[in-house]
Amino acid sequence: MQKTDIKVAFVGNPNCGKTTLFNAITGSRLKVANWPGVTVEKIEGAASYEGCSLHLVDTPGIYSLSCYTIEEKVTRSCVMDDDIDVLVNIVDASSLERNLYLTLQLLELGKPVVLALNMMDIVKERGLEIDLHRLPEMLGNIPVVPVSAAKRTGLDILLHAVVHHYEEGPQNDILHYADEIENKIAKLEVMMQANYPTHSSPRWHAIKLLEYDEDVRMEHPMQILNVADHNYEKQIIQRKYKYIDSIMEEVLFHKEEKEQMTDQIDKVLTHPVLGVPVFLLIMAFVFFMTFTVGDALKGVFEIALGFISTSTEQALLSFGTADWLISLVVNGIIAGVGGILTFLPNIAILFLALAVLEDSGYMARVAYVMDGIMGKVGLSGKAFLPMILGFGCTVPAIMATRALETEHDRRKTMVITPFMSCSARLPIYVLFSEMFFPENPFVICISMYIIGLIIAILIALVMNKLEKGKSNDSLLIELPEYKRPNARTIRIYVWTKLKDYLTKAGTTIFIASIIIWFLLNYGMQGMVTDAGESFGAMIGKLLVPVLAPAGLGMWQIAVALISGISAKEVVVSSFAVLFGVANANSADGMQMIVTNIQSMNPGFGAANAFSLMIFCLLYIPCVASLVTIDKESKSHKFTIKMIVFQLLFAWVMAVMVYQTGKIFF
Amino acid sequence: MVISMTLFEGNAGEQYQIKGLFVEEAITRRLEALGLNDGTVIHVLTRKKNGALIVKVRGTRLALGKHISSGIEISHVKVDGNSNVPDREAM
Repeated sequence: MQKTDIKVAFVGNPNCGKTTLFNAITGSRLKVANWPGVTVEKIEGAASYEGCSLHLVDTPGIYSLSCYTIEEKVTRSCVMDDDIDVLVNIVDASSLERNLYLTLQLLELGKPVVLALNMMDIVKERGLEIDLHRLPEMLGNIPVVPVSAAKRTGLDILLHAVVHHYEEGPQNDILHYADEIENKIAKLEVMMQANYPTHSSPRWHAIKLLEYDEDVRMEHPMQILNVADHNYEKQIIQRKYKYIDSIMEEVLFHKEEKEQMTDQIDKVLTHPVLGVPVFLLIMAFVFFMTFTVGDALKGVFEIALGFISTSTEQALLSFGTADWLISLVVNGIIAGVGGILTFLPNIAILFLALAVLEDSGYMARVAYVMDGIMGKVGLSGKAFLPMILGFGCTVPAIMATRALETEHDRRKTMVITPFMSCSARLPIYVLFSEMFFPENPFVICISMYIIGLIIAILIALVMNKLEKGKSNDSLLIELPEYKRPNARTIRIYVWTKLKDYLTKAGTTIFIASIIIWFLLNYGMQGMVTDAGESFGAMIGKLLVPVLAPAGLGMWQIAVALISGISAKEVVVSSFAVLFGVANANSADGMQMIVTNIQSMNPGFGAANAFSLMIFCLLYIPCVASLVTIDKESKSHKFTIKMIVFQLLFAWVMAVMVYQTGKIFF
Repeated sequence: MVISMTLFEGNAGEQYQIKGLFVEEAITRRLEALGLNDGTVIHVLTRKKNGALIVKVRGTRLALGKHISSGIEISHVKVDGNSNVPDREAM
């Protein structure tokens, strides 16, 4: 009998290529990177093979079926799910020894397992050979299929194995523990079957009970202490590795230790003294490229946007369109959305650089390099990874905190991650630094990134002192092999980010621009000619006294800052709409904004601009980030406390910056 | 006669054999699951002043903080070619 619907879970160690393989089979475009914590949630996709429709589930990478972090919980509950028919265990053949530990645990579940041997090319490069006949024999005759996720070879054979192995059903136990333990397992298995007759995998549950697994014990409250008189986990783990040792002896040949490329590169990148400076140089280079190359490409967009804006206006005029509609389209939508689109080249280069860093294997090293500094503020070097992601976008950065071991560390990292300037803040920096610091805009932009980073670390330090925390030095992270970034992976990564950006421009920013246009053009008396009488002005004026000490005491700025909560780019859109500038990111547009803003009371100069940038850097992140923080912390109280703190902190800092800056400028 | 020391005291470029793990239960289990068991050979690749180090164990590289490295008891191991898998007493 052939079932046509098969549910398949992809399981494996972090960095073994699960997501790349998943993308290759399902044709989806999920983000892949070469460091742990990228896939933090299970993701589903579909494929069909020989008339069977396959439902594939990609899971976060795990080293074992014991639960320490949220990711591991996600994967374990997915693997344990009775709906899953076949497990595809993706194994990094170049570190077979460690990867097989999870394999042995998966085999104990009693579900059909198919082993996908990935990265065989690295094995070959190192002069190693794996006996592909002996390996399956020693794993209970499960199918073992060499694949290359990156080069997309072996995929059909893998699917064939999945479909047919499904029909064959589970294999026998291959691993036997010492008699004492086997007796206990047998007893616990009987108890499991008696108390939970519908449960699958009684042997696995019995072993987990002997390992004193907290979750399994909680879910199956039974009197087991007479059998499981102490925790047998150590013996069980050691037995598994002993078996792995015997597999390695029979399966792996030509073991030679030659100096590997990764070790060579690591001599520089993870150098005890040079590690941090090298990292800072790399990041400085990333931002330098973002601003300079991005700016060079900007001209093309400027011309296109100018053309669209004028031709649209002319077209609308020739149709005899109502004035308000022309104003909405040209001064509202095109100004608000178009201004943001001109930053696309900068954003593309930033994400391209981040993609290369992530895919090369460098990210995990950053955790090691920064561990000393992070340790002093009570966080593990691993907490620095979400922070770097924060340079791209705060939302995935907050999600990436799931890879951290404790809830305490997660929350602390969530508090400081928004201070890392996300790509949405980039347009604000570019615009205001070019308008008010025309001599060295790049220095001003980069200073925002550095100030954000320093503030994040200082806040973590203060939090650590307040809770009288110790320094944290329990870093534990795997450092993958360096590899040449995969073009396809990079393309998917960058395109996904650009698509997100374009989608945001077409949805959030589009709608925000219309709302801002309405608020600025309508007042109590209907459409107004003087924006000072509009609804927007009425709202903004309420905040003027509060913002005045920070040099931001204009209702226009208040409106821009409030609307910036929907998405930080909207701050720039609002300025464009406010001053009716078609392209805020062009020389003419900037000139117009500067002239307008400086003619206003009480004046707006370099000190005000810097204060505005500081405020935008520090005040609450966008709504999407806030929702993510609320969801990930599972606490409204935490989220609200954080919002209040960030607003107050941004205000205090902006006031300090402005009051000091006033003296110099 | 083997003098016992912790991995924290280990030097870059040298190989050691794990004698025992003395850190919190949860971290111990995690290390064991990663293949750091009694008798496993561990190769120190580089170390920082604060004690964080990169080791190679069972063909993979791990970065370990001081807290963990000072909880791993080790002894020197003579490098003798191929025997990456030292004998262990039966369980």
